[in-house]
Amino acid sequence: MIVLILGGLFFLLRPDTPAGAPRDRTFDVSVEGGEMRPPEISVEEGDRVTLRVSSDKPIEFHMHGYDVEREVEPGQAAELHFEADLTGRFEIEDHESEKELGVLQVRPR
Amino acid sequence: MSVKTRRAAAAAFAFSFILTDAPPALAHGFGPTYDIPIPLWLYLYGAAAAVVLAFVPLALFSRKERDAPYRYPRFDLFRVRLLRTLLTSRPLTGGLRLLSVMLFFVVVIAGLVGLQSGFNIAPTFVWVTWWVGLSFFTAFVGNLWPLVNPWKVLFDWAEGLVRRLGYRDGLELDEPYPKALGLWPAVGLYLVFVWTENVFSGSYVPRNIALFALAYTLITLYGMAFFGRETWLRRGEAFSVFFGLLGRFAPTEVGVKDPDVCHDCDGCDDDAVGRCVNCYECFARAAPEERELNLRPPAVGLGLPEKVPPGGAAFVIVVLAGVTFDGLLQTPLWLEIVRLTPVTQTLGVMLLPLLFFCIYLGFVELSRILGGGEGGFRRFAAAYAFSLVPIAIAYQMAHYYTYLLIQGQMIISLVSDPLGWGWNLFGTAAFEPRYGIVGAGFVWYSQVALIVAGHVIAVYLAHSISLRLLRDPVRAFRSQLPMLVLMVLYTITSLWILAQPIVK
Repeated sequence: MIVLILGGLFFLLRPDTPAGAPRDRTFDVSVEGGEMRPPEISVEEGDRVTLRVSSDKPIEFHMHGYDVEREVEPGQAAELHFEADLTGRFEIEDHESEKELGVLQVRPR
Repeated sequence: MSVKTRRAAAAAFAFSFILTDAPPALAHGFGPTYDIPIPLWLYLYGAAAAVVLAFVPLALFSRKERDAPYRYPRFDLFRVRLLRTLLTSRPLTGGLRLLSVMLFFVVVIAGLVGLQSGFNIAPTFVWVTWWVGLSFFTAFVGNLWPLVNPWKVLFDWAEGLVRRLGYRDGLELDEPYPKALGLWPAVGLYLVFVWTENVFSGSYVPRNIALFALAYTLITLYGMAFFGRETWLRRGEAFSVFFGLLGRFAPTEVGVKDPDVCHDCDGCDDDAVGRCVNCYECFARAAPEERELNLRPPAVGLGLPEKVPPGGAAFVIVVLAGVTFDGLLQTPLWLEIVRLTPVTQTLGVMLLPLLFFCIYLGFVELSRILGGGEGGFRRFAAAYAFSLVPIAIAYQMAHYYTYLLIQGQMIISLVSDPLGWGWNLFGTAAFEPRYGIVGAGFVWYSQVALIVAGHVIAVYLAHSISLRLLRDPVRAFRSQLPMLVLMVLYTITSLWILAQPIVK
């Protein structure tokens, strides 16, 4: 009985699986004064992500978990590509100054 | 990534504390959060499940005998010869004690002379391996703290030395411990610890950890010498009390077959069948053939007819409020509270337990009135407190287990280079943590399942406690309605915190 109620509730509340197949996503990311805009990049699992990173200072743009690292010079946008296959919340930091810039959030499908 | 850059990464958190003037609004006092908030539908589902499942224990209990003594199945592991020889062997127990004291000194030395702004074993060992790791081990395997507590071991060694030097009286002054003081010293010290963990912006700085550890050593050794070792460990040593509480949830217990051994001990639980369990002092004092190490169903230790000293309920509430505060700190709501009201983080650490305590006492009084109004209020307040422990454990687990899994891996490289001096003692200094151990989807479901399971166990315990107090199924049933509301409220709060966006 209880199992039935809980099972029913689960299917009632659970939304349909998020639309479709993995998408190509591109984000323009700018780092100014040690802060990333937008501060949070949110994607879905499996998405192919492109980040176009620009910065007002030379930084070493590093994404935890994915271990993607790229040096960015002012006035020279750098492009990063990766496939969002790890889900969770990952810090993005400047390896040069050891400061946290923002967060990458990958939601499961 | 090279070893150098990886080390720099490890330094990131510690460094930000030293360099910035303003206290950083980090998730918890140490390290990042890897979990993403649970989605709204799952939050609603968890809340609904908590309400529905709360009635299961009620249904189970309505069929129970009214005066059945508190019994549960146990199996004495010492009956297996191999286990007995292994678990009671001196190389194992003595080795664990020695290891624990060595780790204590490694942490203190690393904190004092090791690299401050980077690779250093002290923060990771204390906050991840010991604090999170050992608390999980205690709750889900058994309480090792009475064996490995480094302050207790150090005291024993000092005492042995003093006696060998010819001072017969040893170190203990055995001053009478004021009864009314109860667990309050442990409550106070634990509150300071919660503040250090969640509010103090330098909690990840190795030197601070060493200084705190040394200060606590002084307090603990002094307490043990002044009031007697066991008295202070039971009443004032915050971690003995804390791990003791979690150990009651554990699926193992120590016990003594001959009840006479425990006759004049006030730290024992009498299980109403004449044996005493959960008291390590009596266990150590008993003859080897009188000792037992039992397997038991989890959480039943929290329902034992216990003698709760003054401050016992307050300690449980402080533990519960402490784990909640840790999660609350990351929510937008808390940010707004700090911005708009005079409430600061430090004030919050003190106010939240107070708020929890008032709510708890209010519901206990309601429960007492609905149950017929007999029996003292204090007795009820003390008796129900243990039923909240599974909720605290479940929340702590849901909140921290990914943290332990990912950040905990740092210890593998740190043991090879504890001071950050570029050593590679065990050849593991270049180890890199693996991130994708558990997916975020699994984390969501397991967090909700843990919290709801803790909630159901708590409701079950509260009901079995009420049967013992009231000795009447009908009155016990009525008395449980307010407790049900309390537990559902708390569970929904826990789930709500997990569903909140994480603010920086």
